[in-house]
Amino acid sequence: MLILTRKLNEEIVIDGEITIKIISISENQVKLGFDAPKNIEINRKEVFEKVKESLMKAAEMKKEIPQNLKGLKPNKI
Amino acid sequence: MKVKFEHIGEIEFDDDLILTFENGLIGFENLKKFVLIKTEEDLFYWLNSIERPEFCFPLIGIRVIDENYPFEENFEAFAVVILNKDPLKITTNLAAPIFINQDCKIGFQKILDNEKYPVDYKLFVES
Repeated sequence: MLILTRKLNEEIVIDGEITIKIISISENQVKLGFDAPKNIEINRKEVFEKVKESLMKAAEMKKEIPQNLKGLKPNKI
Repeated sequence: MKVKFEHIGEIEFDDDLILTFENGLIGFENLKKFVLIKTEEDLFYWLNSIERPEFCFPLIGIRVIDENYPFEENFEAFAVVILNKDPLKITTNLAAPIFINQDCKIGFQKILDNEKYPVDYKLFVES
């Protein structure tokens, strides 16, 4: 893993088109700003992992089709 | 084109029905070609991978659940469904919608990262 040291407001450039800026630093939290082309997906890792897991589960469970939907309605937001 | 899908058997379809997902799906970035199937009696859509026919994702149109869901112009929003024999245990993933444009035959998935839209939203309630 490449490790770089940066100060507040300093930036990192990846591949000439993705910029990451240190917006603020507190005791145990950093705030980062990202500038990237629209097709680059940027996500918190734990959210990404959760989504990935849920997709795998969906593929696994595809045959568990319920037989009877009587008495049910969509759970509208 | 003829593809044999694991759960629905062999299906023949026109090549111009193939949807291209340039970035694949989340966790399945290498799957880029899909076909979206829905039979009349079926409540769910099936997003079938053409490259790996054993991979298939049940989907539901998000409008069934939320009319105010964030939209992408010219795209229809779908949520991936985790099926269950017990319908009250079926959940849909509202955190990572799949957007499909059936005219241009393209699709993509993105993460909304908004607490209002969980990965495991209950699809049915008792009426």
